[in-house]
Amino acid sequence: MNISPSDVLLLAHATFGAGGCLAALWVFVETLNASPDNARRIRSGAAVTAICMAAAWICGGYWYVQFYPAEKVLILGGPWPFAHNLFMETKEHLFFITAILAFLLPIATREKIYSNAAASKLVLSLTAMILITGLTVEGAGAIIDHGVKLALLRGSSR
Amino acid sequence: MMNSTTAPDSSKLSPITSAFVLAAAVAVLFNTALAWAKDGYAPLNNFMKSLTGHPWTTHGLADLLLVGALGFIFVKTGVAERMDPHRLIAILVASVVIAGLGLLLWYTFV
Repeated sequence: MNISPSDVLLLAHATFGAGGCLAALWVFVETLNASPDNARRIRSGAAVTAICMAAAWICGGYWYVQFYPAEKVLILGGPWPFAHNLFMETKEHLFFITAILAFLLPIATREKIYSNAAASKLVLSLTAMILITGLTVEGAGAIIDHGVKLALLRGSSR
Repeated sequence: MMNSTTAPDSSKLSPITSAFVLAAAVAVLFNTALAWAKDGYAPLNNFMKSLTGHPWTTHGLADLLLVGALGFIFVKTGVAERMDPHRLIAILVASVVIAGLGLLLWYTFV
């Protein structure tokens, strides 16, 4: 097996991102059934969401700065230049929104969600937005990856 | 939606939560505005690159600093605390929708 640090970083980035989305879904479901009994689980889920998104940021950020420029050249020379021009450009900035919301979640879950309608609404809104933006970012990552693949396939078939 | 045995007895957010919700709403809009600005004005992009080595890194740090600074300011001034919490949540959701669509439309058409 030949797994480079670049591969590890990229896969860790996507895995932490997916983990953050799943943790946000966990918090959403727990909040729908909020009671004093699951208050601790809600706070744990919020912490996991924030930690996963921070890890996704660090892994993805380092990979993006150090390794992406070579892939960008490939994508722009390939059949799917929009994989960079539209999807990567949108993803790299949309992710900041996901991260800001994820870091806000542990603060919001310090409230007594089971007895506070506004706090419950806030946590449901936050987790729903983390899920939607997070899954959009994940999907954009798959399209960027496919842009590289198509460029390499076209290059090797020449 | 909520457990029927624990009916809501309060509908206010703490001063810290309110402050950081408003700070996040502003930061999310700032994030999109900065993306537009650095994409449309190369000197800004170059300046951001000179600060950390990559404009994207500077962009992320600027977002985090803004959330922290605004959150602190809003806690101290009590601006967010005085707002209706449901309105505050609506502002945050609207900010995310506007900022997200703003990024998508910018990179689709510009």
